[in-house]
Amino acid sequence: MSETLPGPLAGLRVLELVDEKGRFCGKLLGDLGADVVKVEPPGGEPSRHVGPFFDDIPDPERSLSFWYYNTSKRGITLNLETADGRELFGRLAATSDVILETLRPGVLTSLGLDYATLCEQNPRLILCSLTPFGQTGPWRDFLSSDLLHMAAGGEMASCGYDEADVPNAPPIAPGGGNAWHMGCHYAYLAIMAALVHRTVSGQGQYIDVSIHEACALTTESAIANYVYRGEVLRRQTGRHHAAGPTPRTQFRAKDGTYVCALVGGRLNPRFVKELAELLDSYGMAGDLKDPKYQDQAVITANAPHIINDLVANFIASLPAEEVYHAAQERGFTWGAVRAPEALLDDPHLHDRGFWKQVEHEELGRSFVYPGEAAIYNGSPWRISRRAPLIGEHNAEIFCGELGLSRGELSVLAESRVI
Amino acid sequence: MPRPRALENVRVVDFSWVRAGPWATRWLGALGAEVIKIEWPESERGRLPSTTTPQHLEVNLNTSGNFADTNVNKKSLSLNVRSVKGLEIVKRLIAVSDIVIENFSSRVLRNWGLDYDELCRIKPDIVYVSMSGYGHTGRNHHYTTFGPVAQAVSGLTYLSGLPDTPPAGWGWSYMDDTGGMYGAMCALTGLYHRNVTGQGQHIDLSQMVSSVPLNGPALLDYSVNRRGSRRAGFPPGNRAHWPGTPLVNNYRGPTVAPHNAYRTHPGEYNDWCVIVCHVDEEWQRLVQVMGAPLWATLEKFATVAGRLRHQEELDRHIEAWSMTLGKYQLTERCQAAGVRALPVQSAEDRVEHDPQLRYRQMYLAIEHPALGSHKAQNAPFELSETPASNHLPAPLIGQHTREIVEDLLGYSREELRAGFADGTFWPTTRARLSYMEEMLQ
Repeated sequence: MSETLPGPLAGLRVLELVDEKGRFCGKLLGDLGADVVKVEPPGGEPSRHVGPFFDDIPDPERSLSFWYYNTSKRGITLNLETADGRELFGRLAATSDVILETLRPGVLTSLGLDYATLCEQNPRLILCSLTPFGQTGPWRDFLSSDLLHMAAGGEMASCGYDEADVPNAPPIAPGGGNAWHMGCHYAYLAIMAALVHRTVSGQGQYIDVSIHEACALTTESAIANYVYRGEVLRRQTGRHHAAGPTPRTQFRAKDGTYVCALVGGRLNPRFVKELAELLDSYGMAGDLKDPKYQDQAVITANAPHIINDLVANFIASLPAEEVYHAAQERGFTWGAVRAPEALLDDPHLHDRGFWKQVEHEELGRSFVYPGEAAIYNGSPWRISRRAPLIGEHNAEIFCGELGLSRGELSVLAESRVI
Repeated sequence: MPRPRALENVRVVDFSWVRAGPWATRWLGALGAEVIKIEWPESERGRLPSTTTPQHLEVNLNTSGNFADTNVNKKSLSLNVRSVKGLEIVKRLIAVSDIVIENFSSRVLRNWGLDYDELCRIKPDIVYVSMSGYGHTGRNHHYTTFGPVAQAVSGLTYLSGLPDTPPAGWGWSYMDDTGGMYGAMCALTGLYHRNVTGQGQHIDLSQMVSSVPLNGPALLDYSVNRRGSRRAGFPPGNRAHWPGTPLVNNYRGPTVAPHNAYRTHPGEYNDWCVIVCHVDEEWQRLVQVMGAPLWATLEKFATVAGRLRHQEELDRHIEAWSMTLGKYQLTERCQAAGVRALPVQSAEDRVEHDPQLRYRQMYLAIEHPALGSHKAQNAPFELSETPASNHLPAPLIGQHTREIVEDLLGYSREELRAGFADGTFWPTTRARLSYMEEMLQ
């Protein structure tokens, strides 16, 4: 039954005027049921030129990154530097619930499309500006990138290597575009708060989101360690930053991949007894079954032996996936360090219906896409369509919804308005 | 007149503990919801153990700095939910609430007799967000996570590091921060849907599963192109591409050079800057900022293809220059010229030296009854009509028990006293804290 229910955001119209910084937020809204209309410049948005590409053939319709981050959206083209383009945008804004934009601060105002103006014809409008540093402040006009945000936000200061593992290692920025994810998560939250408020007040509002601040908020206890204790934390291989060295948690398995095994900080008699049982089930308990290990003082004194000999040897004797499942079945919070592609075969994800087939009718193919973070039992998440082709819905929206004639559409195309 | 808050009149029953759940409800509180944290000192995880208690204070339930920052804008009800009376009281609370949120493992609430069906009987339109490690369905639902395990199993850890070394991973529980974000996002999405349709629902969030969509392009590279991430030159450290390996996109934007971290003066632990040039024009501007040294004007560095081909040499030259400047000085010079550069910032840097965060008032002090006045992290967004704020310090454990039990739920002072005497509101084996004695007067 839930297959036919609308998503929780059904009925919402979102205009998206974004580059790589904001498209994940639009996807989050679209996959949950909002009608997200992506507004691109004629010829397409520049992030279409970022790879990897389908079959490694560079083409604005073949960017996998663009495909992924633009599901469940319709696409139109519009040149906002023309008066006709701005007029059409204004008409779309009049019937939209949310506008999400990532233009440089001041650009929307210079186009005459600032919140005060748009709000006059649509007081329920929520306009969210998601920018690198927000609309104010000394860094407002600074340039950025994902890597730059991971540096200034504090992520890099916390990620890296033990000196013993990689001497003189730089601080490391985790990959995958997570600065944009962080900004988009907070933008989504702010938009939803404004939407909830609007269900009560009937009023829209303007939202200024800073990606830099979102990143600066995403280092767990690092700020509290400094604010409350004056500590600046050190980077460690594959585990938490810390004021002083902590035992390792990442162990090499027999297959050359790694296991994240949380042991240090948990070494009490009960844990050691269970650990001995786990290791013993593979004949690898060593001396850990010795009753002396039910004494906390002995455990503490032998922690390096338990971690660096017994646990390390146990994991080194098995494939990472086997350690992961054997340990979890016995209640250990351990996991295999997997490459992303291993997830495609994860039975748990299959049980949850996580992987989605997405039809690319223009290619006569369908591809497997990642699914939902959470199962909405009463209003399901779904990918309603693949990412739009450039201007794919121009006729549908400009003619079908705004009432332009086909002739007018042709004129707009000829004059590079769309 | 104070402005309204976005979540005015929204009440949240917050069973969450440790970090991911509390990070979710922190934002609901900042946006104006009344967040009631249900706690029990015998099974508390979040206040203790504490590694963030100021050096001059005793480590106890009320002195964790990290707890204080993670739990601003909440109230605390200490309640033994595992007792018959405690369960009855929490049901009365749920009956007058909008959202129930928890981050236990998958069967805990059900075992307490509070599964979704029962929640619905108590409050038909309740929005119930469960934030478990693996979700409530699927064969591994009983597995457990902390941030680092969710990150490892989902592929996030693997995407961080230098090639041919162990994964560097994330130096903290990224998926406690981000899992918390998803918890808050689910709660507000469910609340919006309820306000529009009148229907509540159970939203089954999983920390491990919610990590997977963060690897989207890498997953599509495999599901579409059959290119896996276990390959030469991946992950490429801070670079877009690792020299000497096949030229493919590594999921961090365009494949360009320079794209790296460089040491800056005076070369201490966090004296690093990152510099990125997306197009040749940006490279030419960087050449000018560096004073147009001879090496930088060589033809082999003039194009992105050339800079990628000679990246080792390029990075060595850039670092020789960057070592002559402090990281903020370098940032200012580059940005003034239109070159992408920013400093690597520690927590101290962000709180003390970042001019942007200072201007935007990212860290403002809030007075806490046990910890005194300390800076707390503010919201990264400004809502023009309903601003978010830190308006309540983190609660002492059980600080609001009287207020909630008497004023909200209508129990009498006698019933409150009886509940303290029989172990409903505080273990009879533990000394009551001074503010509990006061609330019983």
